Amino acid sequence: MRILGIESSCDETAIAVISGNKDILAVEKSVVLSQVKIHAKYGGVVPEVAARKHLEAIFPMIQNELDPQGKEIDVIAVTAGPGLASALRTGVEVAKTLAWVWKKPLIPVSHIEGHIYASWLNGEAQPVFPALCLIVSGGHTELILMQNHGVYSRIGETLDDAAGEAFDKTAKMIGLPYPGGPEIARYAKEGSPDAFDFPRGLINRPNFDFSFSGLKTAVLYKLRENETRINDIQFKRDISASIQEAIIDVLVKKTMKAVKQVNPASIILAGGVSANEALRERLQESARQVGVPLFVPKLEYSMDNAAMIAAAGFYRAKDEKNYLNPILLKADPNLDLI
Amino acid sequence: METHITHSEEATREVAEEFLSTLKGGEVIELVGDLGSGKTTFVRGLVQALGSTARVKSPTFTVMNEYPTQSEKIKLVVHLDLYRFKEAGQLEALAINDYIKPDSIIVIEWPDIFEEPVLRADRKVMFRHIDEATREIQFV
Repeated sequence: MRILGIESSCDETAIAVISGNKDILAVEKSVVLSQVKIHAKYGGVVPEVAARKHLEAIFPMIQNELDPQGKEIDVIAVTAGPGLASALRTGVEVAKTLAWVWKKPLIPVSHIEGHIYASWLNGEAQPVFPALCLIVSGGHTELILMQNHGVYSRIGETLDDAAGEAFDKTAKMIGLPYPGGPEIARYAKEGSPDAFDFPRGLINRPNFDFSFSGLKTAVLYKLRENETRINDIQFKRDISASIQEAIIDVLVKKTMKAVKQVNPASIILAGGVSANEALRERLQESARQVGVPLFVPKLEYSMDNAAMIAAAGFYRAKDEKNYLNPILLKADPNLDLI
Repeated sequence: METHITHSEEATREVAEEFLSTLKGGEVIELVGDLGSGKTTFVRGLVQALGSTARVKSPTFTVMNEYPTQSEKIKLVVHLDLYRFKEAGQLEALAINDYIKPDSIIVIEWPDIFEEPVLRADRKVMFRHIDEATREIQFV
């Protein structure tokens, strides 16, 4: 079976074709056009600008990559949400149109589910169920237990800010450009993670929820106390390393606490923040200690892409109940996985 | 001016609900206050009180989030965060005016990030961080 994946939920326009043979997936094509440079000048993704850029990009992409009759495609999978309303609509309307004209089944996919399925694009080594998923991105920080394909329960989530947002907001405070996560990681490399003791929200609570808003406030006050050092590069590095340490510490400890309780057969790290090297290493180390395999997407599939959407679509396509009449599909900016 | 002191996130959400009862729909509302002073919690309270189950997150990366509600009077909450914006001229790209409708409200965090005021707002709410759990919220 060959699946066309389409993704336009935020600032990346992407299409991909993957083929599934039994349960092994192979990426045949994956094209991503990032708008990150366009949005950098605003310091965030501007929905109207993103929607316009998606429209400009998507048809040339389809023309270049696909047969005009859609001959090689069996199923079309598209991100239906969550994301920016006007950005999502471009991918959704294009997918509906193609499904209608080519008479192919259409499958709506959650963007978050796509990020989870990025870990099925590593070839033969695939996650085993039950899998505990740590999802960390600019808009999400949650722990999801996946009992089987498409079967999810949420066991914990952030009560306020997402981890990616904590990275970006604190980055801006110390004068680092957007997107702040990679910048903090870069400065952190030469800094001391013990220089400042930032709060680890909810770390001793018996549940699996997260909170990062106290960290934001603590950094703000630390900067006010050290106003004269704000332009000192080593100070910035130390602050960055301490922020990163506080965030990773909570993410890893809460995840391992959940591992102890739900006893999963594998752990999956998903979402844009999974590109953070220090997080990958720390979680890998902790998972190794308890003997549970950790699955992390390849870097190219950890950021937004359409191969992960097609991968999720492949498993959904096994059940015809998941096929949707193209006319009925609507983008849902707040679509929930569960 | 009306001042509220809250001691929990839940109390902040209740203050938001009270504020909501003073709205007609169509308003642009500025939320002014430091990081961690309760602005996003306040928006969460507005969206919940309007009957949406959406989990409100600060739109730092996405600049703008939209929350359809269950209410007849206010059908959509548009939540903006200008924290990362650099110049007032860039606001044009957001096409904020297109979102002003009689059955929507627009709430804007960090409207004061630019040196000069650039937005026409109907209402303003100020937030102050007093201590870890305590916030001061003023309807101006």
